[in-house]
Amino acid sequence: MTSAPRVLVIDDEAQIRKFLDIGLRAEGYEVLLAANAADGLALAATRSPDLVILDIGLPDREGHEVLAELRQWTQVPVIMLSVRDAESEKVKALDAGANDYVTKPFGIQELMARLRALMRGRQGEPEAMQRYDDGRLAIDLGRREVWLEGEPLSLTRKEYAVLALLLRHAGRVVTQQQLLREIWGATHTHDSHYLRIVVGKLRQKLGDDPTTPRWLKTEPGVGYRFISGS
Amino acid sequence: MSEPTREARADALLDSMQEERTRRLKIFLGAAPGVGKTFAMLSAARELKRQGIDVVVGLVETHGRQETAALLDGLEQLPRRAVNYKGRDFTEFDLDAALARRPDIILVDELAHTNLPGGRHERRWQDIAELLEAGIEVYTALNVQHLESLNDQVRRITNVTVRETVPDAFLDRARDIVLVDLPPRELIQRLKQGKVYVPETATAALDAFFSPTNLVALRELAVDTVAGHVDSDLREHMLARGGAMPVRRRVLAAIDGHSQSEYLVRIARRIAERRGAPWSVAFVDTGVALEKSRSERLDAAMRLARRLGGDTVILRGHAIADELIAHADREGIGQIILGRTRERPLARMLGRSLTQLLLRRGAHLELTIIATPAERAKSRLRLRMPGGTGRRGEYIYATLATLVAFGLSFIADRYLSVANLSLIFLTAVLVVAVRTRMAVAVYTALLCFIGYNFFFAPPRYTLMIANFDDVLAVSLFLVAALVASRLATKLATQVESLRMAHAQARALLALGQRLSTSTDAEGIRRVGAAALAHAMRCEVAVLARDASQVLRVVASSPRDFDLTSQDLGAAEWSEKHAEQAGRFTDTLNAAPCWVLPLGSDENHLGVAALRFPSGQGEPATDERSLALTMVQDIGQALQRARLAEELEGARVQGETERLRNALLSSVSHDLRSPLASMIGSAGTLSSYGDQLPPNERQELLEAILGEGQRLDRYIQNLLDMTRLGHGTLKLNRDWTDAAEIVAAATTRLRKLFPDLKVDIELPPQTLLLYVHPALIEQALFNILENAARFSPPGQAVRVVVRPKGEQIQIDVIDRGPGIPEDERARIFDMFYSVSRGDRAPQGTGLGLAICRGMIGAHGGSVEALPGDGIGTTIRITLPLPAPPSNHA
Repeated sequence: MTSAPRVLVIDDEAQIRKFLDIGLRAEGYEVLLAANAADGLALAATRSPDLVILDIGLPDREGHEVLAELRQWTQVPVIMLSVRDAESEKVKALDAGANDYVTKPFGIQELMARLRALMRGRQGEPEAMQRYDDGRLAIDLGRREVWLEGEPLSLTRKEYAVLALLLRHAGRVVTQQQLLREIWGATHTHDSHYLRIVVGKLRQKLGDDPTTPRWLKTEPGVGYRFISGS
Repeated sequence: MSEPTREARADALLDSMQEERTRRLKIFLGAAPGVGKTFAMLSAARELKRQGIDVVVGLVETHGRQETAALLDGLEQLPRRAVNYKGRDFTEFDLDAALARRPDIILVDELAHTNLPGGRHERRWQDIAELLEAGIEVYTALNVQHLESLNDQVRRITNVTVRETVPDAFLDRARDIVLVDLPPRELIQRLKQGKVYVPETATAALDAFFSPTNLVALRELAVDTVAGHVDSDLREHMLARGGAMPVRRRVLAAIDGHSQSEYLVRIARRIAERRGAPWSVAFVDTGVALEKSRSERLDAAMRLARRLGGDTVILRGHAIADELIAHADREGIGQIILGRTRERPLARMLGRSLTQLLLRRGAHLELTIIATPAERAKSRLRLRMPGGTGRRGEYIYATLATLVAFGLSFIADRYLSVANLSLIFLTAVLVVAVRTRMAVAVYTALLCFIGYNFFFAPPRYTLMIANFDDVLAVSLFLVAALVASRLATKLATQVESLRMAHAQARALLALGQRLSTSTDAEGIRRVGAAALAHAMRCEVAVLARDASQVLRVVASSPRDFDLTSQDLGAAEWSEKHAEQAGRFTDTLNAAPCWVLPLGSDENHLGVAALRFPSGQGEPATDERSLALTMVQDIGQALQRARLAEELEGARVQGETERLRNALLSSVSHDLRSPLASMIGSAGTLSSYGDQLPPNERQELLEAILGEGQRLDRYIQNLLDMTRLGHGTLKLNRDWTDAAEIVAAATTRLRKLFPDLKVDIELPPQTLLLYVHPALIEQALFNILENAARFSPPGQAVRVVVRPKGEQIQIDVIDRGPGIPEDERARIFDMFYSVSRGDRAPQGTGLGLAICRGMIGAHGGSVEALPGDGIGTTIRITLPLPAPPSNHA
């Protein structure tokens, strides 16, 4: 990495652009600012940012459209900014290729944490994680084995599939539809109770308290996220 | 019972009044083309016009006759609809233009005309029916040979098969029938002068058709028809006036799908009409699989019966005679008509033919046996064996069985007497008879007999029969073959009948089960489409109206299903009229899909469109009824879901009413106080920032941050309120783990109160709620926030979740000052803050009111109870439904 990572902010509200600009520069990022979709897309094309922060509601076009257009030619990580209670919007954005989302109003620290997670994933992470081990929980994706506190843990096929899928996207949110589609099949994307029961069982076996999760974090209304339990 | 009851008279009077409004049809009936129907019709129209009545010519064919064309002068003519069919241009009657124009009276010629594909209806009489229903009076013309029930007679008289027929029932709708008569001699005269229009293609048949004998016969038919019509009018009139009428016993035609079935239907209609009796057609399904040609004929006959105005019914049972008699007794049928059945000689000998059985058991019924036309069905019912091998296979099987019997006999010959050898052959005959059909069994019996006789029975190697024992053996072979195969046939029949009934029952059961697990309309439509597609082996789309009343596909199987514009037209029509349309029906049948309505007239629940492979013929009657039953079930489930939805809507509405009343008064307080501190702090920073020590600057900044977050929560509450208040709150229910809701709410709480201790007690098992997760989370958060504010420092807030029967209880327990008993019920009222008012730090009366609104909208409740010892317990109770079958 020769220069500072470059972050493109596309948001129509001047105040939000301003505080993101100040905050991001304070963290050592180079910042590009755009107030509408057209400018944002132009900057994305010409200045090749390392990460894009995109507001869902823009004056000239929907954030979803901008995302779709971006995704036609780049896999740059995108964080969507959305408002609360718009779970369906968030899910839509994630399914359309956004890497994460932050709910408005948000603290700068929360945003920075998400940003760092995505940057990390972009730089160092190997294509497919084969093994996870944080000292308490160990998962070997190659051998399909799970150990808890050094003891082998017996999981059902579905429980393992859910855990493995979340682990492969560690740190990032996986939508409930994605989980259902990939593990239960396309006809079951509405059968969310399957998923709830399996996650419940999985948490019991892992001894993971949902209210203070160590590994499996619920993203209300959206899906689940595997967080590193260190 | 010679005196009709008062009710019957009142009904008849009512009927006739109602009919007066709908029977605005005048038919000009002629015996043959060229008698002057169009001329008469136009003359009548001119007379009406002169009287100042709004009369319009919808369509009249002058066929280049000048005297007719002259009559059109001065009459308004509707433009015709241009149709391109197979590259050629035609014009057709424009039904929509006529409906839009809405004249008092409209003239539409040639009632029997068949529309070109692509129009709304297949036949012109259907166009006219729609005009009548729209309240427009119609004048039309018809030749008698086009009448459905006369079809056979006309063919017999003229040797010309008329394909364009009009259902007789349509004639009954006419208020007036005008007979346009011309003596045959004059008609032939006109023909010779070229005054009769004849299509060029038909000139060959012309001479035959217009022969004096034919014309006389046709004329008689026409006069008959009009007379019959007058008779039935008179009868109805008498009934309406209270005159005595004999009780009309129904006429029933029993058909079996053989070639005379349609003929029987027509006869039944004629007989019933002459007696002025209602009539129906029945087929007894004994469970025997029908040959394709036979089931097609059966369907055609049933369709014909419906067109002619009769009822159709399919009875199921093994004994045809018993079923027919039982049905007749149930439905008040006085006469049964049946064709001369091809009887088995043996059955007749034993007095067990259908006719004989009916005569014996149905002595109270009048039986009419119709001699069928010369053509006799040659095909004979052939039972398809389940998993059978086909014709040739059966004979090979029989031959092999015989050969085995021979082999065994040659071996056994050394040890057994000749007479006992016959038992081996008898066994072979029995085995074959049970496994195949009667003919094959007889074949085996003969084979065995010849072989037995030739090889084993003395004198050997001749076909002579020396003693009586062997004659007995032959007879035994034959009797065994007949009895066994008869039994086996009967058994197979029953099995087949059971199997089909079972398959249908299974399809319906499966549908019912799957429907019962679907909680919303969307799920029902999805499940319904899939089940229909599976049971009918076709592609299915379910359409419903969206918010803007546009009919669109909401579920389909397979997933991508494109409807043509014709399909959409049929769907529109079907949805509107709650009747079938599209393929296999009389309406808009150019559409590739068969469209069935899901609801009745009053509740528009959408339609199902079934697309079969284009080559496939019409579904058989029992398949049809299966589809209809399934569609009905889906409609009922939708209706149920709609009711549930309305109930939920009412509940949301109720909560809304409670909330909206005091909203405004909160705005000033709850919004302004955090704003005041934010503006104040920021102003101080901006003016005196440089002079302030760093810790004070930090304090002011944190105040801005904290107040900002507080404002955010208020705004969230206000948003929730307005959503409840405007009825836009749609419960987006999903299966949700109760623990996850508690987790989400407590996580938010911890951010707000980093020092607060929260103890959470969850049950070991996963509790699934069917709720809108964000709303329940918000409700719980509001309670938690309230508890946290009133908790003394260092004291924990406890959250206890436990299942209680079919409900879940979520208790939030604080160790604060508690709430006096008489005030507990009121804390959920808007802006009620217990005796603290503004003294409570950042207290707002909004949170708990919203909480009750949210929980109430889900069918749950929230209440305040005393805490353990001190403090307060707020208890949320929510229904805990059983999730659909678990796959975990």
